[in-house]
Amino acid sequence: MKPDFFDVRVIEGNSMAITLDNGRVEEISSNHGNGCSVRALSNGCWGYTRMEGNCDTEKAIKAASELSKNISLESNRESFSLIPIEAPKIKNLPVVKINPLDISVEEKVEFLKELDSHARCDGVGSTSAIYSESMVHVHYTSSEGLDCEYEMTKVGFAITAIASREGLFQAGRESKFGVAGFEFFKGNEPFEMANRAGKTAVELLDASPAKGGHFPVILDPELAGVFAHEAVGHASEADLVLEGSSILEGKIGEKIGSDKITIIDDPTLHEFGYYPFDAEGVQSHKTTIVEEGILKSYLHSRETAFHLGGKPGNCRAQGSSSPVVRMSNTYIDRGDSNLDEMLAEIGNGVYLLGSRGGQVNTGEGVFQFNAKKGYVIENGEIGDLLRDVSLSGKTLEILNNVSMVAKDLEMHSGRCGKSGQLVPVSDGSPHILVSNALVGGA
Amino acid sequence: MDYYDIADKALKTAEELGANEAEIYIFSGKSTCSDIRKNSIESAHDKHSLGIGVRCIINGAVGFASTNLLGDIETTVQDAVAAAKVMPDDPDWICLPSNKQYNDVKGLFSVDVADLSLGDCILKTKEMIEGVSSVDGILATSGSFSRSIGSHLIMNSNGVEVEEKSTAITGFIDVITTGNEVSTAYDFAVSRDLDIDFYGLGKRAATLASDSINGIEIKGGKKDVVFHPFALADLIENAFVPSIDADNVQKGRSSLIDKIGENIASDSLSIYDDGTLEGGLGSSISDDEGVPSQKTCVIGNGVLESYLYDSYTAGKAGVESTGNGIRNSYASLPRVGTTNLLLDYDCPSPDIIPEIDEGVFINTVIGAHTANQISGDFSVEARNAFVIEKGEITSPVKSLMISGNIFDILSRIQGAGNDVKKVGGIVLPSIWASELNVVV
Repeated sequence: MKPDFFDVRVIEGNSMAITLDNGRVEEISSNHGNGCSVRALSNGCWGYTRMEGNCDTEKAIKAASELSKNISLESNRESFSLIPIEAPKIKNLPVVKINPLDISVEEKVEFLKELDSHARCDGVGSTSAIYSESMVHVHYTSSEGLDCEYEMTKVGFAITAIASREGLFQAGRESKFGVAGFEFFKGNEPFEMANRAGKTAVELLDASPAKGGHFPVILDPELAGVFAHEAVGHASEADLVLEGSSILEGKIGEKIGSDKITIIDDPTLHEFGYYPFDAEGVQSHKTTIVEEGILKSYLHSRETAFHLGGKPGNCRAQGSSSPVVRMSNTYIDRGDSNLDEMLAEIGNGVYLLGSRGGQVNTGEGVFQFNAKKGYVIENGEIGDLLRDVSLSGKTLEILNNVSMVAKDLEMHSGRCGKSGQLVPVSDGSPHILVSNALVGGA
Repeated sequence: MDYYDIADKALKTAEELGANEAEIYIFSGKSTCSDIRKNSIESAHDKHSLGIGVRCIINGAVGFASTNLLGDIETTVQDAVAAAKVMPDDPDWICLPSNKQYNDVKGLFSVDVADLSLGDCILKTKEMIEGVSSVDGILATSGSFSRSIGSHLIMNSNGVEVEEKSTAITGFIDVITTGNEVSTAYDFAVSRDLDIDFYGLGKRAATLASDSINGIEIKGGKKDVVFHPFALADLIENAFVPSIDADNVQKGRSSLIDKIGENIASDSLSIYDDGTLEGGLGSSISDDEGVPSQKTCVIGNGVLESYLYDSYTAGKAGVESTGNGIRNSYASLPRVGTTNLLLDYDCPSPDIIPEIDEGVFINTVIGAHTANQISGDFSVEARNAFVIEKGEITSPVKSLMISGNIFDILSRIQGAGNDVKKVGGIVLPSIWASELNVVV
C-alpha cells in the first residue's frame, strides 16, 4: 500500500507565558509539546495522521497511507501530482541576540510591571499584561528525499487598559509579537505602546458613538493592513479559489482595483509571519498578489500550484495540524502620498484607526472590521473622537475606491485563524484614502 | 503505567517539592474526520492526543505547566512548583475542590459514535453532499464530518478523583450558488450521539443560499429583528457571556457589576447555565477542576440572579463554585466558562413571523467577535437576511449591518419560536427583538 507521496513533520516546542493582572502576577505557565504530522497522497486524496508526544513515525506513515488509500476508493476526485520543488536553502534566519531562556522569570515579570505602569494613566481602572515566548524545532522529511530543519524563537507582549465611568467601559489594547529573542523587549517602544493603550481607553470614554452611513474614509496603517489581509489576502488563497469560494476566481491578469494598490505577501521578512520554508518544505519567497490594481498571483501550496499554475510556498500549519494555504506577512505597498494630503482631499469623512478584528466572506467578497477608534473629519480637519466604529463592504468596491496611498508603511503582528488553526502573521499598510465605504456605528 | 499511577506519583512529587496542594489533569483522545472540497471527499484525518496539565499551589500562588510527554512528568511538576515559588502569595486563594460524590449525567458517551468506522464517517460526509446537491445550482465548497472520543482524569491532593469519557460528532458545510448571482450559506450541527440528519443539514444550507440570491436594498432605521439561533448564539457568546464571568466582574470588567437582583432583561426571559443537561455538548459530571456540575440560574424572569464561578473566584467572593471551571485544553489553566447556556422564553410561539408587520430576519452574522466584551456593544454584518412584511418572510436583503447592545436586545425581546436549537454549547430558539438599529 505505497502512497503516491508522503511527508513527515516532527515538531518539538517549548513555550512560556506570564500574565499580569492589575499589576499582580496572575499566571506563570509553561508547556512542552512534541508531535508529528504525516500526510500521504493516494489517487488525489489525502490521509493525515497526527500524534502528540513522542511518536512512531513509521507507524504514522502507515496509518496515513491507509487513510489516503481508503478515502480514495470512496472519492471521485481525480489524481494529480504535486508541483516539483527543490530542497530549500535555509538562509537569513533571524538572529536571537538574547536567548529568553537565559533571562530569569523575575526579569520578565519586571518587564511586565514596567509595561503595566505605563498603561496606568489617569482614569485607567484596570489593566492586564501578557508576556510570551516560544521555541520551536521543525524537522521535515518526505518520500521525495527532502530532509530539512530549522529552529525559531518567537516572543511578544500584549497590554490592555480599561477605563470606566458611569457604566461605560472602554478598552485600549496594544500588542507586538516577533521572531526575536529577549532583545525584543528593550528600548522604549513597548512602554510607548502601553501608554497609548491607557490613553485610548480613557479618551474613548468621552467619544461619541459613530453615526452609520456611507462616507469617504481614511484608514490608518493598522486597519488598512487588516483589510489587505482579511479582504484581499484570504480571497487570494488558492485552496479557496479552487473550491469555488473566492471572489478572485478566474481573475488573474484582470484589473480588480485602483492602480494605486499593490499588495504583497512576503514570508522572508523578519516579521511575525516569517518562516524559512513552509510546511511542505518549500523555500519561502515574496509574492506580489496585486500589482497596481491588477491581480497577479494567488498564494499556493504544491497541490494548488499544480492545479492553477503558480509558485508554492504558502502552505502552513499550527503545530502538528494539517498544512493549509496561508498568508505570512501581507501588506499594501507604499504609495507617494501622506496623511495631510489625504485630509485636504477628503474634505468631510471619517478617519478609522486600529483594529479590534474582522471577518470576511471570501465567496461573496464581503467583509466586516471593527476599528479601535475613529475621528470625524470636517473640512479637512480631524474633529470629534468616535467609538464602536466599524467598516463593512464589498472587497472589490473598496479596492476600486482607493484613491490615495501614503508612504508610511507599518506592520502589525497577529494570529490568523483558518480551518480551526491559528498561525502567526503580520499585516500592514500605509494610510489609505477610500472614496466611499459603509461605516457602521451604534 | 496507567494514568491513575502517573497522576498519583506526580501528586507525591509535587508535595515533596513543597506544593501545599496539587492537581493533575490528564486528557487522551482520538478523532477521525473526513473533509469535503468542491462536492468531493478530499481527505481523511486521524488525530491522537494525549497531554497532562499540572497545577501546583504554594501560599495561594498557582504555578502551571503542561506536557504531552508522559516520561517528562517529573520535570513538568518541577516547572509548576518553580512557577508558584516566584509568584506572590495570594490570600484570595481558598483551596482546590475536595468533592467525592458526583451525580450521573446522561448522554455523554455513545457506543454508536465510538464504534463508527472510517467507512461510516465517509457515508455521513456523503449524505451532506447529497443534501446540498438536492438543490439546483448549489455547490458544497467545503465541509467536514468529524467524530471524537475523549477521556480525562482529574486528581488532586484533596482527594478529588474524576474520570470521564465522552463522544461527539460534528457536521458542517459551506455552500455557494453557481449562477451569476453569488450567495453563500452554511450550516452545522454538533451532538454527542448519532442523531444528526446530515442530508437535511446539507439541504438546509443549500436552500438558504438559493433563497438568498437577488437580494434587494432596504432602508435603514429602527426595526424589528428576528434572530435565527445561529445569529443570536454568536452575539450571546461574544457580547453577553464575558459579563457573567465572575473573574471579569471581580476585576471590574463587566457591565453587570453590582447588578445582582436587578432587572436586566425581558420578564419572559430566563438564562441558565446547565452542566447537567442530558447529552449537552458542555455537560459532564464535574467541571474541569472536579466540582460537580450543576444548573445555575443566571437570569430568572429578567432578573440577574448569579454570575458564574470557578473555585478561585468563588473563594474570593465567599460563595460556592457553580462548577464553571473550564479548560481549553490540558495545556491551559481552568478559567470561568459556560457549560451549556440555555435561553428560555416563557411563552414561545410555533411561529413568530406572522405576528410581525415589518422587520428583518437574520440567519447569521459576521464579526460578532469584534463586540465590546465589557459593554456588550456590537456592530456586525448580517448574512442571509430577509425582509419580513405583513407576517411573511419575503425578499432577501443584499447587505445590512446591525449595531446595538446585547443587553438592549435581551430587554426588547417580543417573542421567541419553539425551534430550540443546540448551537454548540448555547441552546436557544429564534428570538424576536424590537427597535434595533439597522444600518445600510
